[in-house]
Amino acid sequence: MFGLVLRGLATRKLRSALTAIAILLGVTMISGTLVLTDQIDRAFVQIFQAGNAKIDVVIKQKPPFENVQTSVYLDAAVVDQVRKVDGVKTADPFIQSEGYLIANGESLNSTGGAPSFVFSNLPQDLNPYTPIDGRLPEASGEVAVAKEIADKGKVKVGSKQQLATQDGIKDVTVVGILQYGNGDTSLGGSTTVLAPLADVQQWWALEGKASYIYVKAQDGVSQGELKDRVRAALPQQDLIVQTGREDADEQAGQLNDLIGKIIRYALLAFAGVAILVGAFIIYNTFSITVAQRTREFAMLRTIGASRRQILASVIGEAFLIGLLASVAGIVLGLGLAWGLGKLFGAIGFGLPATGLILSWQTVVVCLAVGIGITVLASIFPALRATRIAPIAALREGATLPVGRFAKFTPAIAVVIGVLGGAGMAYGLISSGSTTGRLTTLAGGAILIFLAVAMLSRYIVRPVVSVLGVPIGAVAGGVGRIASENAARNPARTAVTAAALMIGIGLVVFVTIFVGGIKASFTGAIDSSLKSEITVSARGFGGTIPAAVLPAVQGVEGVQTASPVGGTAVQIGNGGYALIGIDPTTLPEVYAFDWTDGSDALLGTLGTDKALVESTIAEELKVKPGGTVDVLSISGAKATFTVVGTYTDPTILNGIVVDQPALKPLLQSNATGLNTVFVRVADGTSVETVQAGVEEALKQFPTAQVQSNQEQKDQAASGVNTILVIFYALLALSVVISLFGIVNTLVLSIFERTREIGMLRAVGTTRRQLRAMIRWEAVITSIIGGVLGVLLGILFGWAVCKGLESDGLVFVFPTSQILIFLVLSIVAGVLAAILPARRAAKLDVLAALSYE
Amino acid sequence: MSAETEAATPTSAVGDVVVATDLTKIYGEGDSEVRALDGVSVSFPKGQLAAVMGPSGSGKSTLMHILAGLDRPTGGSVLVDGTELAGLNDQKLTLLRRDKIGFVFQFFNLLPMLTAKENIELPMKIAGAKPDPEWEATLVEATGLGTRLTHKPAELSGGQQQRVAVARALLSKPAVIFGDEPTGNLDSKTSGEVLDLLRRAVDEFDQTVIMVTHDASAAAIADRVLFLRDGKIVRDAGRLSAGEILDTIKTLE
Ligand SMILES: Nc1ncnc2c1ncn2[C@@H]1O[C@H](COP(=O)(O)OP(=O)(O)O)[C@@H](O)[C@H]1O
Ligand SMILES: [Mg+2]
Repeated sequence: MFGLVLRGLATRKLRSALTAIAILLGVTMISGTLVLTDQIDRAFVQIFQAGNAKIDVVIKQKPPFENVQTSVYLDAAVVDQVRKVDGVKTADPFIQSEGYLIANGESLNSTGGAPSFVFSNLPQDLNPYTPIDGRLPEASGEVAVAKEIADKGKVKVGSKQQLATQDGIKDVTVVGILQYGNGDTSLGGSTTVLAPLADVQQWWALEGKASYIYVKAQDGVSQGELKDRVRAALPQQDLIVQTGREDADEQAGQLNDLIGKIIRYALLAFAGVAILVGAFIIYNTFSITVAQRTREFAMLRTIGASRRQILASVIGEAFLIGLLASVAGIVLGLGLAWGLGKLFGAIGFGLPATGLILSWQTVVVCLAVGIGITVLASIFPALRATRIAPIAALREGATLPVGRFAKFTPAIAVVIGVLGGAGMAYGLISSGSTTGRLTTLAGGAILIFLAVAMLSRYIVRPVVSVLGVPIGAVAGGVGRIASENAARNPARTAVTAAALMIGIGLVVFVTIFVGGIKASFTGAIDSSLKSEITVSARGFGGTIPAAVLPAVQGVEGVQTASPVGGTAVQIGNGGYALIGIDPTTLPEVYAFDWTDGSDALLGTLGTDKALVESTIAEELKVKPGGTVDVLSISGAKATFTVVGTYTDPTILNGIVVDQPALKPLLQSNATGLNTVFVRVADGTSVETVQAGVEEALKQFPTAQVQSNQEQKDQAASGVNTILVIFYALLALSVVISLFGIVNTLVLSIFERTREIGMLRAVGTTRRQLRAMIRWEAVITSIIGGVLGVLLGILFGWAVCKGLESDGLVFVFPTSQILIFLVLSIVAGVLAAILPARRAAKLDVLAALSYE
Repeated sequence: MSAETEAATPTSAVGDVVVATDLTKIYGEGDSEVRALDGVSVSFPKGQLAAVMGPSGSGKSTLMHILAGLDRPTGGSVLVDGTELAGLNDQKLTLLRRDKIGFVFQFFNLLPMLTAKENIELPMKIAGAKPDPEWEATLVEATGLGTRLTHKPAELSGGQQQRVAVARALLSKPAVIFGDEPTGNLDSKTSGEVLDLLRRAVDEFDQTVIMVTHDASAAAIADRVLFLRDGKIVRDAGRLSAGEILDTIKTLE
């Protein structure tokens, strides 16, 4: 039997290859993702281990609550206690902050979202950087810079440059060029400047503070031993003591959670879509081939093959295709990971050259998914093959018996659809964990796709009769035949179209979803802001110097400059933003959308009252009159009485208090200022004032000045980048579904060889024949495109409605939808190229011979 | 053996619809060479119903395919309605078949998803031409398919299907209609209906029909019967009775 399977695959080469491609591309993506993210994971570990190579023990502040992005600091004087510990060779405070070198007027900050670091200098026996030219910085005003920056900005040792700090631009002298670790590891696109500790403390308002205390052990004292001794010597329970290795692994793990895992799960989600589309195609291909081989199976039955053997032969074929496709997919995945790594490098997020890692887990996952899905998708067709009676071998034109459950298909589909709808609704409305909600949402969407795919066979005929009219008008008799051919096997056309539907549906969905995010932001700016210019913190340091406010107020044409600050706080188990505002000026620059309260409340806030954003109020289950207990990132605690609620999931999304109430909750280095809303005096040009503000803030590189339009554009461009990435990832699924169309057409043409011969004999030209195939493909792709657009709109609408309280707005993307419909037609035309060629090449006589 | 010419018509004359001169068709090379046609010269005047007979493998299908522009000869020439086929590319040959030739095959004649009427109109639709309604009505009348025009092939009997195929071949009023065993798949009653129709096409509508057949009773309705053996025309006779035809075949086998 197995020999027969092999022979079958060999004789149906093209068909087998096309089927394999359907699953191969999905497996490629899984393999590529796993290889790439393993590489990222290892890169992070290498980076941090290189950083801690010389460090035996690390002491750091325990944050008052988990899951905070804000850095916390410890008292630098702890180092005096540590130095006294027996076995300590060197101990030094270290600060990690953000800033960058400005060389000859050019800002040498990082690219691609990686941070721009300014580190405090360490003695060489703790320092992961070594000078390759010059020396480490010692005196105030001296800096050393990483080689990458020096190369980029043509920075020479001894040159006078500038350093962008939280406190403004400082004049510095470059005294050294540095390499990290042993030179073959870089920090993934980030930039590094070293400056003396005292300078960093002063310029980042961290006097007396440190991010870490790094300790070097004396010879013969192990990391673990020293850690225990340091721990014992430090009574402060809010300090964490780790070995250098533990700290490196922890930091690598945190960064990996933040980046590697997100990349991994996002890419795997898209790979999952590709696999789902592939499953449809495999199901369809096997259904068609089993039908075409009815007589062959019947013949096998007459010569004594059992049902089980028939089942095994079909599933065996699926297994082989799955195996070949998976192996090829794994190999191609290595190439994909390599390409993506290069792409990351090109956009400025270079990964250390750790080489491609093909772990056994990757191989197992790819084989399991690739073979598993292929076999699974072939089970129903295989079961139908077993129902072929031996007598069919003797009958001319015997057809496959209908499945036992065929008559229940519509009912089953409806049940699946309802379940899917319920899953989506649950995912949108429930208050469970985000992962759980996303999973139910995605599961619901898959079920709905399935249900629509199962039901869509019933719309094939009506759609074709509608489309047939214009197609008949354009293409004449050939168009008519094409329409009829498309409607001939509604189930076949429907499943082929459904594969495309999934890709197009998700494309439409992300368009609406991302459009909703964009609209929520622009809508918030339009409806909430009365100011025309916003000064905000650049990068994720998140704070601007207090001196910015008077500087802005001094600009001619500024009517109101309203300061806003904030800090991360924990309330209950959730993290929120505590926002400090100025009650007298805020109403001039910002319009509250009150759910309970009025602007009159602002003046009454004092130091113990707060306004809460309405969605947060619901989460915290507080109403005006109730209280909230906050724990600040600085460790300070406070209780506020809620006096009003308002809706703004975008700009002031948090708990609003008067600025004096915020002050005691800030970390010592925080200025309590992160935004200044600027209202321009009537009759003054916004451009002029903006230019004035920019001029006044030249000294403050962390302050970014933007008009409302610029803010919208910035948000839009960020969101558009995401959209483009999503499109690129979904394009793979669309391409796979094109192979599905190709496959179905090739199989159908094979089936209709004689018809095609007859058509050619009675005067159909090759060109007309190609047109006929093309129209059939286009009809299929239009059905897929239209269904996809409809489902995409439905999903988009549901998700936007479900997340309305988070500010999401449903915007109907008319022009994009038209483009997608045109693209699905183009997709059909592309898919038809190969089958049309094959059909046109058919030898008329061979087609007509009936021996 | 040379062809014994006893037909009522000369071998070649002005007004002949199909003229073949010295046709040869060789398959394979060297030892495995097969001469499917070996120097066939024959012409068919307008308004004739001709039958081509001969044992299996004698070259009947090959001859018909070459005359109909479906295959190219190794040597010799074919004129259809005055057009030399030799120089035509695939596109021109296709258009010639579309405009000047009608076909009736043994199997696979109709598209299953189209109605009888749509099948009849198929070649004209493909050509983008409008069928002459009067002529179409006449044909429908002649085929006796009036009430079944909206039926799909699967809902028609074999004889009805084949009559649809004949009507399809006639609709564009081609210069010549070729039939490859048009009754080969039918019982004697239904094949009689189809042969009647072909006969009427020649007698009443002035069409020209050349059909390959195995069936002596089918050949008996022809104005002319050609016998092939080993790729050569061995007898070219006028009207023959079924008995005479069977006798001739016996001598050939
Ligand atoms: N495509 C082909 N390749 C090789 N030989 C062929 C081919 N077609 C026909 N023949 C040979 O040519 C001869 C005539 O065939 P054909 O015209 O089909 O005969 P008929 O229709 O009278 O049975 C036969 O010997 C046949 O085997
Ligand atoms: Mg033959």
